[in-house]
Amino acid sequence: MFSFTYEQKVFEISNIKIGGQPGMYPTVLFGGVFFKGEPDFRGAGKNIARMLELSEKTGNPGVPDFFIRKEEYVEEILDFIEETIPRGHPFSVDITDPSVKVKTLEMLHDRRLLGRTIYNSIHVGITEEERDALKRFTPEMAIIVAFNPKDKSPDGKIEVLENGAHLTDSGLLKISKDLGIKKLLVDTAALAPGDNSGAAIAAIPVVKEEYGFPTGCAIHNVVEKSTWLNGFEPARKSVDAASNVNIPLFGGDFAVFGPLANAEMVFPIIAWQDILISEYTENYFGIEPIGSHPRRKLF
Amino acid sequence: MENEYYPWGGEFTSCNPKGCVAAVILNIENYIPTDKVAIYGPLKTENIGIEKIVANVISNPHIRYLVVCGEDIRGHRSGESLISLNENGVDENNRIINAPGAIPYIENLNEEAIERFRSQIEIVNLIGVVEKNKINEVIDEYIAKSPQSFGKSYIAIKIIPEAKISIGDKRALHAKIVVDYMGNVKKRGV
Repeated sequence: MFSFTYEQKVFEISNIKIGGQPGMYPTVLFGGVFFKGEPDFRGAGKNIARMLELSEKTGNPGVPDFFIRKEEYVEEILDFIEETIPRGHPFSVDITDPSVKVKTLEMLHDRRLLGRTIYNSIHVGITEEERDALKRFTPEMAIIVAFNPKDKSPDGKIEVLENGAHLTDSGLLKISKDLGIKKLLVDTAALAPGDNSGAAIAAIPVVKEEYGFPTGCAIHNVVEKSTWLNGFEPARKSVDAASNVNIPLFGGDFAVFGPLANAEMVFPIIAWQDILISEYTENYFGIEPIGSHPRRKLF
Repeated sequence: MENEYYPWGGEFTSCNPKGCVAAVILNIENYIPTDKVAIYGPLKTENIGIEKIVANVISNPHIRYLVVCGEDIRGHRSGESLISLNENGVDENNRIINAPGAIPYIENLNEEAIERFRSQIEIVNLIGVVEKNKINEVIDEYIAKSPQSFGKSYIAIKIIPEAKISIGDKRALHAKIVVDYMGNVKKRGV
């Protein structure tokens, strides 16, 4: 457990604060919705309600991360967001298809939802159309994924942030700022075992010490790709949830923890971890946790 | 024995080591091809995923056909990007020429490995086809061709960026504690 010498940025979106020195703000948890098939609105509604309860109980903010696979789903998913997510609460949109990204941004703008939107994500595959759309319809906050196909080490991740690893015309930080996005989160791009999976965790303190941006990743993806765990099926869910503790332990600010249905396990684990960290960082570095921190709420 | 090939590992199942067909399955749940294929598995990303497929199939010279089936991965367009690699290779920036994927870069394989893939493998493009019977028929058809082995196995070397080790690197974690070679704390705090 440690503290950073570089000044740490804290960003706020719809009353959720993210970033800062370890131990100050609770880890923000992003739970995914609609990963597979047709959107299941009924199941998602239940899971979101439960996540909000767990968030209220533990103090760890929860953000539903809506995976939008196809253009024809955009409208109904945005309807669902407007109906289901409390007005003062943020959400994120996780989209891979560039044309769906453009369409979603435009519709978020039309519905005046951009102020609550965390855009997931900007990466080296950003297209001209996406840049145009982001400039016209700028979300309040965006996640930059520091994936570098050339170099999966922490240095490689710094390289894409700094200069785009020559895959883009400039670094992803500059591109995002030039688009007018002021609140940036850095996702250190967790890769499969065998592809330097540990680098996603090791890069967290490196990115924070270098730039001070709120940083995290989807470390549970590594568990999902650990096929050897198929031989340990009863442990798989625990390993998946527990993998997230690496993020706050290495000074990170947010975890993208996979399906929202896993919130039941992930929230208490992370709350426990945040308490552990806060107890030390307050004693050693004098970092006081905010009032809604799990250490204030639960202990 | 069966994994004497496929040194790069990944999410796949190996079947008949002398099979001439490998199958790349895009977005089809619960589809298991015949065990006469050499190897089958999913493809997700248009960079690392493709690299693994290339490295693994060229290590087994018996594989001559790569059946790419199912619905392509949205945004990543990994299946189409794999086909582009086979058709066009990569440009001077290691980008797969004419690949439609978001980040279609081959950074961990050298040119020789890519050329070997292009010479050894013929792609059977079944992107958009999800009917299992139809895919099985095509696989059987290509197995029946029973082509000759490509010869020797090709083990692709993973290109790893040169490591730069610097103990004084300030981007690593900062320890405020100083421990001597005996393990004793010499200094604590600032």
